[in-house]
Amino acid sequence: MAEGFKGLCRAKFSAFVAISTIFFSLILIGSFIIFIFNIQQLINQIQSRMELEIFFDNSYTMEQIEKLHQQLINTEGIESAYYVSKEEAANIFIKQFGQDIFEILNENPLPPSFQVRLKPNFRTSIKAKNLSDKISKLEGVDEVLYRQDLLLLLERYIRIFIIIILSIGLLLAVGSIFLVSNTIKLIIFSRSKIIEIMKLVGATRRFIRQPFLVEGVIQGAIGGSLAALIFYIAFRIIKIEIPGLIFFYQNNYLILTFLGIIFGLIGSLLALRKFLKY
Amino acid sequence: MIQLSNIVAKYPGGEGLDLVNLTVDHGEFVYLVGPSGAGKSSVLRVIYFDIFPQSGHVIVNGFNSLTLKKKHIPFLRRKLGIIFQDFKLLPDRSVFDNIAFTLQVTNTRMRDIKRKVLRVLAEVGLSHKRSKMPFQLSGGEQQRVAIARALVNEPIVLLADEPTGNLDPVSAEDIMQLLERINDKGTAILMATHDYRLVRNSRRKIVKIENGKTL
Repeated sequence: MAEGFKGLCRAKFSAFVAISTIFFSLILIGSFIIFIFNIQQLINQIQSRMELEIFFDNSYTMEQIEKLHQQLINTEGIESAYYVSKEEAANIFIKQFGQDIFEILNENPLPPSFQVRLKPNFRTSIKAKNLSDKISKLEGVDEVLYRQDLLLLLERYIRIFIIIILSIGLLLAVGSIFLVSNTIKLIIFSRSKIIEIMKLVGATRRFIRQPFLVEGVIQGAIGGSLAALIFYIAFRIIKIEIPGLIFFYQNNYLILTFLGIIFGLIGSLLALRKFLKY
Repeated sequence: MIQLSNIVAKYPGGEGLDLVNLTVDHGEFVYLVGPSGAGKSSVLRVIYFDIFPQSGHVIVNGFNSLTLKKKHIPFLRRKLGIIFQDFKLLPDRSVFDNIAFTLQVTNTRMRDIKRKVLRVLAEVGLSHKRSKMPFQLSGGEQQRVAIARALVNEPIVLLADEPTGNLDPVSAEDIMQLLERINDKGTAILMATHDYRLVRNSRRKIVKIENGKTL
């Protein structure tokens, strides 16, 4: 442990290089994660607009309508069911087309309906279809309408998006570890003489590795904390400019620091492999 | 104590060994003599298990290359003292710390470290220079520090790879006398050298090596 701290102090410049490498890798990965958070938020918003429109018997009394409403909100997967009366449907028509349907047809043919919102994990094409089939079988229900085409399209884009995100994420993580490992390798190389002598005088692998791993962990913790700090400051500034922007939650800052430690540790382990073959 | 039987060890970029047979008994002083590139250093590396033979086997203090596990290598090396032509001292540590380092590596207690280092420094005649840094010492003195470091673990054998190669004749003679004294106290020595003059008048055992073969 003490050797790890001493190592940091002895090689200030190389410690600075390692910390900077970890710092910039995490800034890159962190920005990427924030990007994903916001895209995810956008997808959620689109999905939350997915509604089922349920049309039922025109002649239903208020009691029957209330009974149907109860049945709907007790159905698994339904978050809320909003009753749209004939009059409200006519008002919506005016909003959508700018004309009163009475003036055109002298009557209101628009049926009453329920606008049903689905629970978040039911906003998929398959589950929406199942739910739609289930509701269709309820007594008095004439028709269930929803934008299945939109759901299918959205799901296709989400699939492509996930593949791209995973590929970039993997590339970033591997690239960062490779970068950190190479930086640490150069640092260790500058101390290859001490490792060689340690080996010659009978130090065990564990003994040789320990100070370098401690050093890697400390560098990772510093790099990670700095990256977390920068993100925090950036958040305070950007929050005012773009209020809707999603940023890190509190524990994400800790995760970022932890990620730095992992980077430092894995980087040191990979770098040491070359020097500790025996 | 050390036995190399029909060793063949070839590796990229190295001298390589083509058929080496050699024994070193307890308390013996053996010269390994041959021209540059003959394989002297490789023989020593085989003994401290830095390289493994492709055929044949080596036994060092009961450790057999055929059965040895890599995790045992550090424990074997603690019974060997190794010195080199270029001393291999740590430039950023004092004479005392360079020697103490060997004992820290093996988790020796601080009190014992001090006692052992001072004893071995006295043995090589450098007690008064214990606080100096390596660059403040002459070549001969640096080699003495390296010898002290090799001796501090009380090894069964001292492996010396051209220990006088970088030294002027007077310093070289000093080092040779020091090695003789160490050997007189019972530590076996295997010294690789290309300098035939050093061994010409010696009564010690001489093993010649050429093109990776012992003769």
